[in-house]
Amino acid sequence: MTDNTEIKPLNGAQLAILNNRLEGIAQKMANTLMRTGRSGVLNRAKDFSCCIVTADCRLIATADSLPIHVLSGADHMARVMKEFHPDFQRGDAFMNNSPYHGCSHPADHTLLVPVIDDAGDHRFTVLAKAHQADIGNSIPTTYHGAAVDVYEEGALIFPSVKVQDNFEDNMDFVRMCEMRIRVPGQWRGDYLAMVGSCRIGERELVGLIGEVGWPLLEQFVRQWFDYSENRMIEAIGRLQSGTQSASSTHDHFPGTPEEGIRITSTVSIDSAAARIEVDLRDNPEALPCGLNLSQACAETAAMVGVFNSIDHTVPKNAGSFRRIDIRLRENSVCGIPSHPTSCSVATTNVADRVANSTQMAIAEISEGAGMAEVGAVIAPSAGVISGVDPRNGEPYVNQVFLGFTAGAASPFADAWVTTGHVGNGGMCFLDSVELAELYQPILVYDRHILADTAGAGQQVGANCAYIEFGPVGGPMDVGYVSDGVTNGPKGARGGQSGGCADQYLLHPDSSKEPLPACAQITIEDGQHIVAITTGGGGYGPPTLRTPESVALDAAEGLITREYAREVYGVALTSDGVIDEAATAALRRAG
Amino acid sequence: MRFACDTGGTFTDLVVEHDDGSWSMFKAETVPGDPPAGVLAVLAKAAEAAQAPLDEYLAVADSFIHGTTHAINAVITGSTAKTALLTTQGHKDILYFREGGRLEPFNHTVPYPAPYVPRRLTYEVPGRIDCAGAVLIALDEAAVLDIIESLKAQHIEAVAVCLIWSISNNAHETRVAELLAEHLPGVPVSISHQLNPVIREFRRASSTAIDASLKPTMSRYLNDLTGRLRQAGFDGRVLMLTSQGGMMDIDDVAEAPIRVINSGPSTAPLAGDFFASRASTLKNTIVADTGGTTYDVSLVRQGRIPFAREMWIGRPFIGHMAGFPSVDVKSVGAGGGSIAWIDAGGVLHVGPQSAGADPGPACYQRGGDRATVTDASMVLGYIDPDFFLGGEMALDTDASSAVIQRDVADPMNVSLEEAASAIITIATENMVRAIEEITVNQGIDPSQAILIGGGGAAGLNSVLIARRLGCPELLIPEAGPVMSATGALISDLRNEYRQLFFTTLQSFDLAGANAALGTLETQCQAFIDGPGAAAIDSSIEYRVEARYKNQVWDIEVPLPFSRFNGKADIEAFADIFHQEHLSLFAVNDPDSDIEIVSWLATVRCPLRASSAGRMRFAATRRGKQNLRSIFFDELGRVDAPVFQFGEMKLNQRVKGPAIIENEFTTVVINPGAGARMNGDGNLAITPWGESGI
Repeated sequence: MTDNTEIKPLNGAQLAILNNRLEGIAQKMANTLMRTGRSGVLNRAKDFSCCIVTADCRLIATADSLPIHVLSGADHMARVMKEFHPDFQRGDAFMNNSPYHGCSHPADHTLLVPVIDDAGDHRFTVLAKAHQADIGNSIPTTYHGAAVDVYEEGALIFPSVKVQDNFEDNMDFVRMCEMRIRVPGQWRGDYLAMVGSCRIGERELVGLIGEVGWPLLEQFVRQWFDYSENRMIEAIGRLQSGTQSASSTHDHFPGTPEEGIRITSTVSIDSAAARIEVDLRDNPEALPCGLNLSQACAETAAMVGVFNSIDHTVPKNAGSFRRIDIRLRENSVCGIPSHPTSCSVATTNVADRVANSTQMAIAEISEGAGMAEVGAVIAPSAGVISGVDPRNGEPYVNQVFLGFTAGAASPFADAWVTTGHVGNGGMCFLDSVELAELYQPILVYDRHILADTAGAGQQVGANCAYIEFGPVGGPMDVGYVSDGVTNGPKGARGGQSGGCADQYLLHPDSSKEPLPACAQITIEDGQHIVAITTGGGGYGPPTLRTPESVALDAAEGLITREYAREVYGVALTSDGVIDEAATAALRRAG
Repeated sequence: MRFACDTGGTFTDLVVEHDDGSWSMFKAETVPGDPPAGVLAVLAKAAEAAQAPLDEYLAVADSFIHGTTHAINAVITGSTAKTALLTTQGHKDILYFREGGRLEPFNHTVPYPAPYVPRRLTYEVPGRIDCAGAVLIALDEAAVLDIIESLKAQHIEAVAVCLIWSISNNAHETRVAELLAEHLPGVPVSISHQLNPVIREFRRASSTAIDASLKPTMSRYLNDLTGRLRQAGFDGRVLMLTSQGGMMDIDDVAEAPIRVINSGPSTAPLAGDFFASRASTLKNTIVADTGGTTYDVSLVRQGRIPFAREMWIGRPFIGHMAGFPSVDVKSVGAGGGSIAWIDAGGVLHVGPQSAGADPGPACYQRGGDRATVTDASMVLGYIDPDFFLGGEMALDTDASSAVIQRDVADPMNVSLEEAASAIITIATENMVRAIEEITVNQGIDPSQAILIGGGGAAGLNSVLIARRLGCPELLIPEAGPVMSATGALISDLRNEYRQLFFTTLQSFDLAGANAALGTLETQCQAFIDGPGAAAIDSSIEYRVEARYKNQVWDIEVPLPFSRFNGKADIEAFADIFHQEHLSLFAVNDPDSDIEIVSWLATVRCPLRASSAGRMRFAATRRGKQNLRSIFFDELGRVDAPVFQFGEMKLNQRVKGPAIIENEFTTVVINPGAGARMNGDGNLAITPWGESGI
């Protein structure tokens, strides 16, 4: 196809095909990154994302990624790349992990490669973002919740730094990282995986442009954004209109007020005009700790709350985003941070409170939409562990994923149990006990769920889990930032709250020692650490849950018989059979 | 004479290999409630074609090789035994937690899957072993005996045992198995370290639980089938196809029925690779099998049949993980029954919903009221409504036109034919995407590969698929409609063994590595001397699962030797690994240490010399058509010549547009493409024309 051809509007089949091609390219990038990455956070937790933005920096295609990773941020980073390096060319690659320049948080090293077609024109930018096991923080964790500012955090910050020229690494950059990042070989492997991912995306896109011609692809991009916007219009049209504020409070941590951080999201739905506004301006000032959000995370968290609440088949790209208005304020804890505010933990804790309050507000406005609150992070069972492996004398640093059960109920189904937090949408893999014990000098003594801890409701949240583990043959450090000890995940529309988190040490004499919520602690050989993960909130009144479902929950040990009676108004015999008459009486009295 | 019989969801396929090496194919409808009835029905058809009484016909046959979906259907429909799981204390929720992961993070309408064995039937055994095999807590035998009493009280029909680190020290599992045998006799038991010694306790537990749950039902099925075959007069060896694409005596299948869970599809790649290697010099082969509801694809690289350890029964993360090595066949919801629909924004989709075989496409007139890919083929004139299955089933073109007009043409505001063509295009795209995931994603360029179109519906769009992928050659085997059964005929007796032994190249444990290889060799030799005694040959192939330090996803790499003889071999292996990683993922890291986790051996015992049979055609065409009116986007309606597969001469060439068909399949040769009948009786197609392969 030549450039002079008049391009007619594409039909529904052509649109589907080209979208398939672009999504396929993003998927290839993701596959490369996951299969070749080295750190657990990347290849086990899938804490990475790959996406394609247009030359004018609009998100067009993503692989299925952690929700908190991709909705907003790629656009900002692509813009910063063009601004700082206006003379970029084929073969360049840029590193961005700066929360002040569009990245989510410093742990998310992001590689950007501009895609320049054979005619020499910039058409797309591909991004591969991967959470690193270590980024050279002042302590061996990528979640420095207590850092008063970016200096105390300590990581190297790359505000769109050129790291490849003519497809070759800038070795200055590599050597700087190797001098600062713990277990540098692991970082180097992950960096290599990102390069492979971006270069595969670049090669495929150049090939696609060569195959179908740029005019056709340009027409596709235009129409695909319009299509996505139309799908969004239709989805919002099915909601009820209204305005609601909902709040969700993050527990007290070092650097926060005693009462914690109360996050408020005010959502306005105008179904006739097909617009949703999320206003986050009425929130506290940025705090002297690592919990502040980057702009990318504030925007993405609000969008996660929106997309969790509506028809999931609406494409998530710059077209559907046109229908969402997010109001942020500078220097707010969940707004636009200014240097040197620390955003070390921006993708999880406060971001989860933003997403949760947004989907709760939507549930209150529109029956049958929205979602209950997903539980909080980061319990020690998903902490960063480090030490020296007595089996070979080598140091290790890795985030483990031994347990998380934060899933919340939706209007349609019980919770997806193994959800890490609202921003990860259940994508994260759970560590195998055997692999965890092979890779690190630890033993996992116990991992099971706890009865009567799920958010009760017509649809049920996830139960809490109990995870007990400890080092073998020497001490081990564990870093974690465990929210949800005080403020558990709330239920929506009459649903109840899920269980709270907790953590403590078990001494060899079986005595328990409580542990702080946000800490970097050392566990001695012989000691065990216990993490209780949060559950998730329920949706709708428990008394509307069918007695058959309640009986099954009881048979499976997810709830006790007493709980079935008190909370669900369902009477079960000692054999677990439903006592119809007693149940009817209980529910009438309820 | 040998039989290969594949029971699928819709049809039971049979390929007969006659003593002169020629083949005949037959199909009968599967009887869902009584699969052996379908087997006997298709054998009766073969006997009838040979004009012999069934008992005499069967009496002279040597072997009956069987593939079946019986096991996988039992798992999908939940009609398996009441099964208990015994696992390590503290880890009761192995099957409840699974391994995490999810496909659609914003889709909150899909319920979290229930554990394969309910929590109420999961029992915790006190005792603990660590990764080095040391016993940290002794096995509490009294507690095991208490559990066995509960199993009796619960009337448990099968028991799975999976303890943490039984793969590094099996003492506890072995003792639990002894106690079960002694105190719970007659109840089948599956033991994880014996069945599937892989690291990752969820995968091991899941495969052990599935295996145990299948034992009662598969024993009944196999006894029933062999009993009825014997009664009908068959006196030969009964073999079953495994998920690994090999054959096994049925007594061994009863010991580990999970081995046959993917029994049908697993042999299609064998057949595809066999035909490709005889027809083409291209090193890589893409094998596709188009069914009514699914499109199964696999990639054979340089003659190596691909294996996966992550096979899911049902959709990934929602279904159940077989956790067992299986021929890597990727299955996507795209086939003749896939339904076309337009979304709220006007974009056309095909699938993943399927009308399946029942009610099937609208043209079947069995109550189907949705526009399917088969209906689109009807509208385009590809399928002759009077010659479907040799005329056994009449199809209704008007019904196809009506649903496509209503569901696709009107909403898109295009003509009926354009709508039908768009449906084929999207279906093609879905299939291409599936193939790209197993090729481009693994560093294989499809433009350097031959595409094999198997399955009865493959001929409808395989030229389009080959063009989109850039495949220079396309082969449609005459045995394509019975591809799995054909694969069965050329498969070998086969088994697979695995040893877990961890070492790294920088501190290589030469003695340990060679000990693991030695154990594997002993196991393979026992197989050669046992089930393989009647074979004409035998071979053993060694592989390892390895990765760069700190990676968690290992890759499988062949070992060119059976023992490491010092430093040179270690370096040679390192080179192979770096090359393999580069070719799979476009990057490698020669400075990094390499970790070896598992050691594998495959033993093969071929029962016959390798040669392809020619198909004898049972039915010739009634009321032969010479021309058919078909539609192509680029030409509109044209009258295309129609050729019969069985009547084409060696090296006869056909230029598109044309149709080549037999009673089981229709091949569309698009305008610009060319086909040639090759020496095996297969159609060698050049998607862009020219001289033919």
